Amino acid sequence: MKLAPLICAVLLSASLSVAAQGNLEVDSPAIGALKQSMHQRHSQLAPLYQSGAVGLAGDGTVALHSAGSVPLAQRGQVNALIAAENADRRALYREIARANGHPEWESDVRNTFAQRWVQRAQSGWWVQQGGGWVQK
Amino acid sequence: MALLSLPLTASALGTLVFAVGRVEHPAFALQGLQFDFPAGGRARLSIARLRVVDRHWRNVRLDCAHGSLDGATVRCEGGVLRLAGLPHPLQISFQLDLAARAGTLGIAMPDGARLNARLLTDGSVQATVTGFDLGVLPAWLPRLKAWSPGGRFDGELKWHPTRMFELKGRLAGGAFGSEDGLRAAEKVALDVRVDAALKSDRWEWTAELGWRDGATYLHPFFIEAGPSLRAHGQVQQGVLDIREASVTLEGVEQLAASALLNLHTGQFDRVAVALAGADLAVVGPRWLAPIMAPAAGGRLRFAGRVSGALEFEHGRLRLLDAVFDEAGFSLVGGDGGPGLAFGPLSGYVPWRDGLPTRGALRVGGGRWQKLALGAFDLGVDIDDRRIRFDRLRIPLLDGALVFDGLVLDGGDTDTDWTGKGSLVIEPLSMHLLTEALDLPSMSGVLSGSIPGLRASPGEVVFDGTTVVSVFDGYLRATGLRVLEPFGVGSHLTADIEAHHLDLAQLTETFSFGSITGFVDADVRGLELVRWRPTGFDAKVSSSEGRYPRRISQRAVQNISSLGGPGAIAAIQRSLLGFFDTFGYREIGLGCVLKAGVCEMSGIDGNAEAERFVIVSGGGIPALDVIGYNRRVDWRELVERLQRVIAGNAAAEVR
Amino acid sequence: MSPSLRKLFLGALVLTTSACVTINIYFPAAAAEKAADRIIDEVWQLREGAAAPAQPSAEDKKP
Repeated sequence: MKLAPLICAVLLSASLSVAAQGNLEVDSPAIGALKQSMHQRHSQLAPLYQSGAVGLAGDGTVALHSAGSVPLAQRGQVNALIAAENADRRALYREIARANGHPEWESDVRNTFAQRWVQRAQSGWWVQQGGGWVQK
Repeated sequence: MALLSLPLTASALGTLVFAVGRVEHPAFALQGLQFDFPAGGRARLSIARLRVVDRHWRNVRLDCAHGSLDGATVRCEGGVLRLAGLPHPLQISFQLDLAARAGTLGIAMPDGARLNARLLTDGSVQATVTGFDLGVLPAWLPRLKAWSPGGRFDGELKWHPTRMFELKGRLAGGAFGSEDGLRAAEKVALDVRVDAALKSDRWEWTAELGWRDGATYLHPFFIEAGPSLRAHGQVQQGVLDIREASVTLEGVEQLAASALLNLHTGQFDRVAVALAGADLAVVGPRWLAPIMAPAAGGRLRFAGRVSGALEFEHGRLRLLDAVFDEAGFSLVGGDGGPGLAFGPLSGYVPWRDGLPTRGALRVGGGRWQKLALGAFDLGVDIDDRRIRFDRLRIPLLDGALVFDGLVLDGGDTDTDWTGKGSLVIEPLSMHLLTEALDLPSMSGVLSGSIPGLRASPGEVVFDGTTVVSVFDGYLRATGLRVLEPFGVGSHLTADIEAHHLDLAQLTETFSFGSITGFVDADVRGLELVRWRPTGFDAKVSSSEGRYPRRISQRAVQNISSLGGPGAIAAIQRSLLGFFDTFGYREIGLGCVLKAGVCEMSGIDGNAEAERFVIVSGGGIPALDVIGYNRRVDWRELVERLQRVIAGNAAAEVR
Repeated sequence: MSPSLRKLFLGALVLTTSACVTINIYFPAAAAEKAADRIIDEVWQLREGAAAPAQPSAEDKKP
């Protein structure tokens, strides 16, 4: 019976090596529409990342960091922009998981994206690391 | 004010020294005062300990250019006071009659601000302030530092510590901002008037505030000048009781509030707000959209009126009542399409913290996409963040959508709500439905039974079956899912089976020439994005059974042209011209749509062979339609189909 | 190996294999990172951003 875990381990490693070569499907029409929408919004968000008004949160969303630099009348719009971007991002993570036939991967997709957004943030942008805000 | 000791000593050197032990006042305290009057008319005041509000200094010195002690009157002119933490020295002049406890005080700041105060013999203070810069406040009150206040204040103050308090003033260019920028104001002009009187053990007060200019952002609300406030109440044992405050606000007939503010903690213990006759078209975008749906703020439309009440205890919402009067709500579609709308809507929705409540609404109608919804009653049981709907019957065309056991659960955050229930679609006439959707008119009936209706922010699942009896056969849709229903990535998936559709009616409806016979269709994994197919695995084939099978010349040409340049009708052109209709044995066409390309197949379904038979001939005269190009661009195919239906198709027959 | 022991062994194998099959569905982290980077490129248009600073250096070479 001691063989059982060994067999399991062998089979597991075999399946690991097979699956690791797979690609993630990210070309569904919905993903395309979300990318397009986020790309259009990015022209509005980029100056806000640069000024530190908006930062990249640790959970794969964007968050208000310090709105002080934004004109008063536009702070509500920044809030709306953040909400819209986060709605798209959440949809994107769900949709990628779904497009690959594993809706339960959503949180894994979100975590992967969270790390990549933060790592690839441009210098000067604010990102959340270990719960606190850091400027890249 | 209490002056405790007045020891007077004249030193042997001809200078006069005069010391005061302690002066206490709620706003300030002085300890170890000592006046020195050296020869030459100068004077110096030393204070061992000084407190202003809650800021403390030690060993403070005031040097007067001219000073004197005349009887009990101390005089200082051209005094200069330097205090640690203040950017500039203060210029101070005063004259104080220690016996009568009366006098005058003048303070001038380098920026031109002045304070002139008179201490009267009855213990009262009268002061005028001109051009006082609120920016210096953090130097006196360090806890204001995080708010970076600014602006200039002019005003008059009358104060008797045991009788009355009167403040009248005007703030110009007022500003503040929290560090995170979530609470801020700019260029605020404000008229203030506060009157208070001490009645036995409490201060009774009235206040008026007129906000004439500027704007403020109190997350998530942006508010511009205009509102004014009248309030009255009392202050007792460290609690500011705002008994009634009435606010004039654009778009609201009446807005009143009451509150208890704990002066020790600076927190509101209780706040109650009552609202009457609010115009939703005005207050909706400003006050509701930022809370309800910031992402969809621009797409939400409001109409009608609402009244209501809100109560908070220690910052927590305890009660909410809303009464709607002919209210209307609509959400424009994510693609700019017609979206969803309800109204006029009237009724009452209450909510209590920790208690179940019941609400009732009468909805006059609605619209979903191009479909008009009829009037319906909405009864709801609300318990915390869970809403349970009564049986809900929404009329649609000549049928209805009937929801049973519908429950919405708000979850712990805004992004994890769920819903479930069941839906029955009472029979709808296809004639009316196709007319409403601007589709070619079809006869038949649509009905559905969906026992497993589930919704979450990412998807709405319709587990059940919808059946459309149409073209003498029927279509059956199962596994219907609307994914990302509220976003730009909105799409729909379903499996559809069709049985025994009458080709004669079908081809006539879509002006496709004429074919007699029946077909079955099987569409797996249909995916629609904005009602346009983006993926499916479809197969159409002749139904089993004996029935006349004829195909018109026009239909042959259309099918051939659908197949593209590679598809040919295997019959001589000259022969084709002689006959109007042909016999056929079988029709079969498949298409697997993926990534914009349709992979076509014919009757045999053999994907290996280069050619595929779409129509196999039978009878006299007979003809085959054969496709040669298996991979067809889907958009091109749809364009061709549209041209064919529009009757402009140029038949490509060789 | 006695027949009963063999049956037991076979049973265990079947059990462990089926258990492993469920574990088999795991998240391809490396592929996900690649996919995320591709999407981030497109949303942020980082390639354009990378091309912009390259221009001055090309001009520098001219003289």
